[in-house]
Amino acid sequence: MVQRTMVIDLDRCIGCKSCEVACKQENGVTLGCTWNKVLTVGPTGTYPKVEMYYLPTMCQECKEAPCVKACPTGASYKNEDGVILVDKEKCIGCRYCMMACPYGVRTFNEETKVVEKCTLCTQLQAVGEQPACVKACPATCRFVGDIDDPNSEVSQVIQKAGSDSVHVLPDVGNKPSAQYILHSNIAKWKE
Amino acid sequence: MSIQWPLVFFTLFVGLGCGTFIVTVLLTEWAGKEKQIRTFSSIIAIAALAVGGASSTLHLGHPERMFGAMAHPSSGIFMESMLSFLLGLAIVIYLLAIKRDASATVCKILGSIGAVLAIALAFVNGDAYVMPSIPAWNTLILPALYLVSAAVMGCFCTGILLARSANHDEAALTAIKKAALLTLAIQTILIIAYLVHIAVAPYPDASRSIGRILAGGLAPIFWGGLVLIGLAVPVILMKKPETSSFPMTVNFGMACVLLAGIAFRVLMFSLGSSIKQFF
Repeated sequence: MVQRTMVIDLDRCIGCKSCEVACKQENGVTLGCTWNKVLTVGPTGTYPKVEMYYLPTMCQECKEAPCVKACPTGASYKNEDGVILVDKEKCIGCRYCMMACPYGVRTFNEETKVVEKCTLCTQLQAVGEQPACVKACPATCRFVGDIDDPNSEVSQVIQKAGSDSVHVLPDVGNKPSAQYILHSNIAKWKE
Repeated sequence: MSIQWPLVFFTLFVGLGCGTFIVTVLLTEWAGKEKQIRTFSSIIAIAALAVGGASSTLHLGHPERMFGAMAHPSSGIFMESMLSFLLGLAIVIYLLAIKRDASATVCKILGSIGAVLAIALAFVNGDAYVMPSIPAWNTLILPALYLVSAAVMGCFCTGILLARSANHDEAALTAIKKAALLTLAIQTILIIAYLVHIAVAPYPDASRSIGRILAGGLAPIFWGGLVLIGLAVPVILMKKPETSSFPMTVNFGMACVLLAGIAFRVLMFSLGSSIKQFF
């Protein structure tokens, strides 16, 4: 079973938001809509022991995607690579998928009246390129690949980081496949 | 989640239609009282379902693609649409049976089928929102509240019909008042249970905290809309001794429970933040 997803090394992320801009440019994301967003977590602690990290957020490519289950028309679906996509010709704009997403990472386009989300730039990956956010990242902190393939780059990066430093967002049965690397010497992961 | 007004009015009117039909069937077919209200109350129920259905389409970005929902029969929208259609059909058949002077048994069976569908629809209206992604909604108390809210509205709507019908049976009025008080009592218990759920729900957040409901930004809606207008005033009205002013009393009570229904739904959407609301 192939599960393409994103792994982000937060130790390296500098919060420049190049990924946000590249995503907007590549996918023509409408003003007011967001497919990915870099958040600042912290600072926490007391000076001089203060820590902070940046958290790039986007669709977590859940294995048991609640958005796919909630969609009444089948517009939200998983493709053969395990990437969750929206068929805009089928979407009725009911926004139930937005309610079902535990992370609020879907967006409603008020112009086209359909729901949109990160596609992992499938149009670029189809021609052998990396997603726009991965290409634009100056810190090389983003990786995309098949998390179920132990020889893939994402699996190697995860393995190298060590299980104690690999984190996922809260799981309510949706099994998010995206993973974040954050070593405790940089900052403590905030649930 | 911002307040989805079309869905607020969708569930409100569908609840009104379901409640009115359920209470009417119980009163007329099962208790055998005031059968003259059956036609008018059934028409009100269908009209409420139609208004609710029309309201729901305003929520959709592309209602013209709605039939695509037939592809996914387990989704909440499919179940709501299908039950609305089946209930509408059941009420039409029930009306035809009344019009053709069908036997009491036939009317009772047809009415009961419709009432069961109405109970299911009122419940599914709330159940469609039960999802692990939104901690404040992830409880079966929510659909139970939708069902009881429908029953409360149904009691008051049927009360209006009774009060307006000539030579109405005082025992029927008393029964409706008792039913209204009982459903309001159940609603009170469910609201308390819902508050407990909010307090202990996982992934606590200020946007869905008990403090926001009781003493924060949502306090006016909770105390004013739900507790005062939705519970205290209707209970006082239903406990009032019977006088000639009953039609006005029950009309005022209906307005109160409708406002409370809106307040409850607004409160629900206001609490509907995801576990992580990144965008």
